Parts: sequence; C-alpha cells; structure tokens
Amino acid sequence: MEKTGIYKKYIAPVIHHKVFTLFLIFVVMVIIFSIWSALRGTSFLRFAVFRNILNSLVVTSFLAIGAGFLLVGGKIDLSQAAVGAFGGVVLAAAIGRWGMPWYVGVIIALALCAVLGAINALMITKFRIPFFIATLAMTLMAQGLMYLFSSIGNNGVASNINFQDKTLRFIGTGTIGPIPVGIIIMVIFFVVYGIILSKTSFGMKVKFVGGNPVAAGLAGISATAIAYILFINSAVLSGVAGILTAARLGQGSLMALQTNQFTGITAAVLGGISFGGGVGGMAGVFVGLLILNTFQIGMGAVGVNPFWVQVFTGALLLIALTVDFITQKRSSAAQTTL
Amino acid sequence: MTKTLEFRGIGKSYPGVRALDNVSFKAEGGKVLALLGENGAGKSTLLKIMSGDQRADEGEILIDGEPVFFPDPQAAIAAGISVIYQERQLIPSMSVMENIFPDNLPRTKFGLFDRNKLYQKAKKIIETFGLPIDPAEQVGRLNVAYQQMVEIMKAYARNAEIIAFDEPTAPLTDTEIEILFNLIRKLKAEGKIILYVSHRLAEIFQITDEIVVLKDGKFVKSFKTEDTNEAELIKAMVGRDIGDTYANLSRNENIGEVILEVKHLKTPYLLDVSFEVRKGEIVGLAGLVGSGRTEVARALFGADPVTGGEIILEGKSVVFKSPRDAIEHGIALCPEDRKEQGLVMLHSIRNNVIMPFVDKLRKKLFVSEEKTKEVVADAIAKYSIKTPTAEKVVSELSGGNQQKVILGRWTSEMMKTKILILDEPTKGIDVGTKREIYQTICDLAKQGIAVILISSELPEVINLSDRIITMNNGRVTGVLAREEATEEKVLSLAMREVS
Repeated sequence: MEKTGIYKKYIAPVIHHKVFTLFLIFVVMVIIFSIWSALRGTSFLRFAVFRNILNSLVVTSFLAIGAGFLLVGGKIDLSQAAVGAFGGVVLAAAIGRWGMPWYVGVIIALALCAVLGAINALMITKFRIPFFIATLAMTLMAQGLMYLFSSIGNNGVASNINFQDKTLRFIGTGTIGPIPVGIIIMVIFFVVYGIILSKTSFGMKVKFVGGNPVAAGLAGISATAIAYILFINSAVLSGVAGILTAARLGQGSLMALQTNQFTGITAAVLGGISFGGGVGGMAGVFVGLLILNTFQIGMGAVGVNPFWVQVFTGALLLIALTVDFITQKRSSAAQTTL
Repeated sequence: MTKTLEFRGIGKSYPGVRALDNVSFKAEGGKVLALLGENGAGKSTLLKIMSGDQRADEGEILIDGEPVFFPDPQAAIAAGISVIYQERQLIPSMSVMENIFPDNLPRTKFGLFDRNKLYQKAKKIIETFGLPIDPAEQVGRLNVAYQQMVEIMKAYARNAEIIAFDEPTAPLTDTEIEILFNLIRKLKAEGKIILYVSHRLAEIFQITDEIVVLKDGKFVKSFKTEDTNEAELIKAMVGRDIGDTYANLSRNENIGEVILEVKHLKTPYLLDVSFEVRKGEIVGLAGLVGSGRTEVARALFGADPVTGGEIILEGKSVVFKSPRDAIEHGIALCPEDRKEQGLVMLHSIRNNVIMPFVDKLRKKLFVSEEKTKEVVADAIAKYSIKTPTAEKVVSELSGGNQQKVILGRWTSEMMKTKILILDEPTKGIDVGTKREIYQTICDLAKQGIAVILISSELPEVINLSDRIITMNNGRVTGVLAREEATEEKVLSLAMREVS
C-alpha cells in the first residue's frame, strides 16, 4: 500500500513527464552510438567525448534559452546567431581596438544587442510585421552592423578582431576544480530561467500569451510588453553566446555562430515546446539541446560524413515537428468532437 | 426515381467518447431533413463522416441503394456530396467566380485561364439563384451572408446532389436567413437531398420536412415536421421535460443604486450609446448581429478606443486604455467566443482561472501554490465544475463547464468584480447546463454584481434581464422593462432606425 503511495507521489510524475521521454531518447541515442562506435573499433563512451558534448552545449545553451522562452510565448527569433556574432565583434572592438576594460565591453555589447532585440519587438508589435520577416530583416541588419563595427579604425576593411583579456579568457576556457566555468554559468542560467518560467507570474503570463494571445489580452495581460521582454531577452542572451564565443577564441570573429542560426529553435522544438506556443519548460529545452549536440558529435565520432550529419540534423528537426503536429492535431480533434 | 442517402448502423469512437452509436436513417431527394440534437449529440461527427473528413468505425453509407466509401473529402465530393460548414471554406482574396469553380477553371485554346468564359459561367449560376453578386467581386469583401451563398453556389456548380448545412443561420440576420431559405427551397425543388443541422427550432419548422433527433450519439426518433411541435422535439433531444426554464429561477429582488452610467458613448464602431446599470441589476443588450452589442462590451472593457462620450463608474468619470484598466476597476468580460477569446485551450482549469490575477497570487518572487489551490478549488466548488482535478486541460471540458471556468475566474474573491459583462454566455451550451448558468447569473446579481447580458437568443434576454436595452446600427433604440418586453416589441425596437 505504502509502496504504491510512494510510486504515485514521486515516481509516476517523473515517468509521465514529457522530459522523461526526451531523456530516454537521449539514453537510447548514447547506447546506439556506443554500439555503433564499438563496431567500428572506436569508443564513444569516453570522458573526453562527453566533456566535448557538454562544452559544445555552453554557447548554444544561451541561444536555446532565449529561443525556448520566445517559443513558449508563441514567437520565433531568426536573428539570434547574427545578433550574437555582432555582440562578439562589438566586445572585441571595445577591448582590442579601443582599449576598454572587459566589463565595459560586455556592457556595451549587451546593451547594443538589447537595442536590436527591442527593434525586433517594435517591428512585430507596432508595425505588425510577421516575426519571420522582421527577424530575418534583423539578421541582415545585424550582419551589416557587425561588418561596420569591425571595419571602424581598420581603414574601412572588415576583419576579425583579436584581443587579450585575462578575465574573459578565464570565463571562456578556465575551470573551477574539474568543471569548466562555461558549464557552471550555463547551469545557473538554465536553473534561473527554468524557475522564472515555471514559478513566477511572469512565466505564467508568457505561457498565457503563447497559448492564446487574444484571451490573455482580454484577461488584462499585455502581449506587447511580453513581446518586448522576450525579444530583448533573446537578443541579450544571443549577445552572451557571442561574447562567450569571442572569449573562447580570444577573437571577435566575423564567422562566429554562423552555423547556429537555427540551433536555439531546433533545441527548443526537440525539447517539446510546441510550435503552437503556451507549453513547455526549460528542462525540456536542456534535454533537447543535449539530444541535438549528442547527435551531432556522436555522428562525428562514428565517422559519418559531416555533410550527411547536417542532413540528418534537419531530418531530426522534421521528426520533432511532425510529432508536435500530430499531438496538436489530436488534441484539436478532441476539442472539436467533445 | 428519387435519390436517397442512407446511413446504416454508423458508429464512431474517439478516445474516451462514443461519438456515434449505431445510427441509421434515410434521407430522400426533394426533401429537407433536419438533424437535431444537443451539443455532443453527434451531428457534426456525422457530417464529417459523410464528407469524407473522418471515417466511420462501423456501418455504411448508401447512395441510391449502393454502398459508397469515402477515404478522403475528394471522394465524397466526387460522389456529389457537399457540406457547407460554419467556417467558410473560401479563399477570401480571390473573386467570386474563382471560388465557385476552384477546381474547374475554363481554359483558352492556348491553355491559359479564360477569364471571360469563367465570368459568364459564374454569372449564369448567380442569376439562377437571383442574387445581386458581381462574379468579379473579391469574396473577402462580401458580407457573411453572401459568402455563404457563394459557398452554396460552389456546391451547386459541382453538381452536388447531396448538400448538408451545418448551423447555416448562426451568423445571419433575419432578411439574410430569408434569402438563404429561398435558396434552399430552390435546391429542394430540383430534387436534391438536403440535410440541415441547426439548434434553432423555429427555423426547423420553417424549412424542413423531416426531423431526425440524435442524443449522445444515438438515433432517438424521426418526425415528420408537420406532425410535431417544439415541446415534443425538446423532449426527444434532452430525454426529459424541461418545463419552463425561466419560471422557477430565483431572482434578485433587491436592486441598488446606479453603478455605471454610459453617456453618448462613441467608438469607431458605435455612434451614440447611453444607458445606466444598477447594482444587482441584470441589463440585457438586444439587437441583431452587427447592431453594436459586442462593441459596447468591448468599449466598456477598454478593448476598443472610446472617441467620444463618457463612462461614469460609481460617480467618477473613467477612461480605460486597456482591459487591464477595466479589470482593475472591477469590470469583467466573458467574451462571445470562449475558445478563441476566453480560454487558453491547452492549459489547465487552474491556469485558466487564475489568468487575470496571477500577479496577486505572488508571495515574494513566486506564485503561491497554496493560495492558487485555494482560489481554484473555490471556483470549481462554487460552480460545480465537473472535473476530477484542477489540472485537467480545458479543451477536454464540455462547453458548459468551460463557461463555468470563465465565470469562476471573474467572480473569484481575488477579482472584486462589480460589473460582469456576459457576451453570449450560453452559446453552444446544452439545455440542461443553460438553466444552471441562468441561475448562476441571478445569484451573481443577488450578490450585488451588476450584470450586462448580451445574447442573440431573444427569450434568454427577455426572461433573464430586469431591463432590456435595444440597439441598432451602433445606437440605442429603446429601453424595456421585463414586464413589458415581448419578442415582438424587442425585435421591432431592434430594427428601428434612429438618427
């Protein structure tokens, strides 16, 4: 009797949680890669591989948190990677060219990213431009601005900017004990954002607006205010991703985050945030990102051609979207017939 | 030989629901057959099966005695079946003629699209029905009634022999309904089989020849329209006598002072609206669709901009810039369309109840779980919402229970609602629950809440309201006390032109 009580109270909620299913997918993936690599005479289950996976999460996790929050609120930001790269170049220019202290560079970079995020929100709420178009336009603008910044004081030629700073180097590549600083920052961000989304009234409002903007508006929740916060948040977190990339390389690279335009969104969707908005959590986003990176690194570890890896990543996203579509269709079918 | 459409032993289950169970009946050409039943009786499911949108689990459909099978909607269309749904299936940005012949555009000898020929073909059909529609007009610019006509002509152009109408009159005014009925009579005269789904009993007596009543997915009984009456049909629909829904309501006898005054209110959709509401009073807003009833609600709730006039709440002039402002002043709105405007359908009862006051549930940084539980349990108990848990997703509730969730939200102790605006509170709710909601409304009035009731159902407005304000074209056209109100009086005031 007591056993079933414990089961009901502690075990059942975990097992029936969406994130648990996702975690199982991750485990199955690890098993497959282990067997696969063993068959090829290499080994996947190594500490180095997993540290590699964890490390690869750091930069993209900030994109994924921003994209996840937006997607729960029913919106998408395609400009994340461009805004992030812009932020990295601004930081590098501030330190490497203008000799500013690292924290001033960080503040300037993040502030400018916030402005770009606010412009996204303005275009979407005030001028009613669809978010796909608005954030695509922002991608172009942010790229242009990045080239501009990198060319100032360089005879008008855009180039990567090298810089040296001890603190940033420590944040980018240092460790506390055996744990990389980046990982610690990532975990803190995931926990804080997870709590914001699930426990605060702001998080609830994001879900309401994402689930039904009209109903939320008629319940006195301002979708405009939420949109501003979410887009600014996404841009600032992209800036953090850009800064971390720059800190790791010691360079504001014009090519930074170039392959990450869809990483955040992909992780959020893999993590079970529905395209309809209104549902999902940060734990899901984390596991989604874990699945995505494990998949990519695992494929590399077993020697699949990287071009194919990209094709398969696309297919993985399609599968996730199909599952999302089917569940939504089912629940809406239930709605209309009941 | 007359055409026939026969359903034999149709059954269909969804997870947890038996939507249709062994339904059999037969429709004949040249007759209009009504499908009648409460919500959830299975009418829509039957139409979906017939149009190839869903497949039956059991049973078969026979056309002229031959069994037919529709794996998809195209197959049903090919077999001559057209279903005119409430939601338009037209392309608003394209012209009338292109919408009438979407899959059958004429071509010139070069294989290009032949506009002239299409225009002539469409014009011919429009003339057959005697409608004043230009074939080249963009469909999105037509009013709902004419859009519906276009849809009917589309079915006609496909040579559909079987045409089903799903609640066709819901968005129409009385004159428009008359045009629709003439069209249906024409189709009937051509020997087509017509199925007609509607809640409105009066219409069913006007237009149909036979009536099939469904209840809980089962066939109950069929009637010849001329041999039956309303009481008999309602009895078959609900399976019991409901008596007089309104007679036994326990009403508020204690109406207080004026709480809200609206003086010459003007918005982009309203010309001149003045009225007042007292504490504990139920004021009905009656008018045809498009008269401005809903717009009054939106203006009072801060959802539409006020361009002139004054709203005086408890003696003070107020301006609401957003629903948030209105809510903070104790005004609440249960919107017309629960699913689209009222609820977050994929969220739990809990979330939907606390939506407007989630900030007030904060304890330091976080939303307090205990307080939330308490408030939500309160709402569930107060309205006896039928659910095992507050975590149940609202899309799985019946329409009546969904409405109770919204009522529970606005009348929660966290809200301090003084004025409750109800826009079509019983739309799509079955007869039994309606009665419950009526009593709830009276109970709220007893607690001193002023209720503004908007409804298209005249008996509802007349019998529930203490006073009825009639509207037409964005203006108030009259005020009636309950004792003097009759359907005829309200209607004639609602159609009066005032300038």
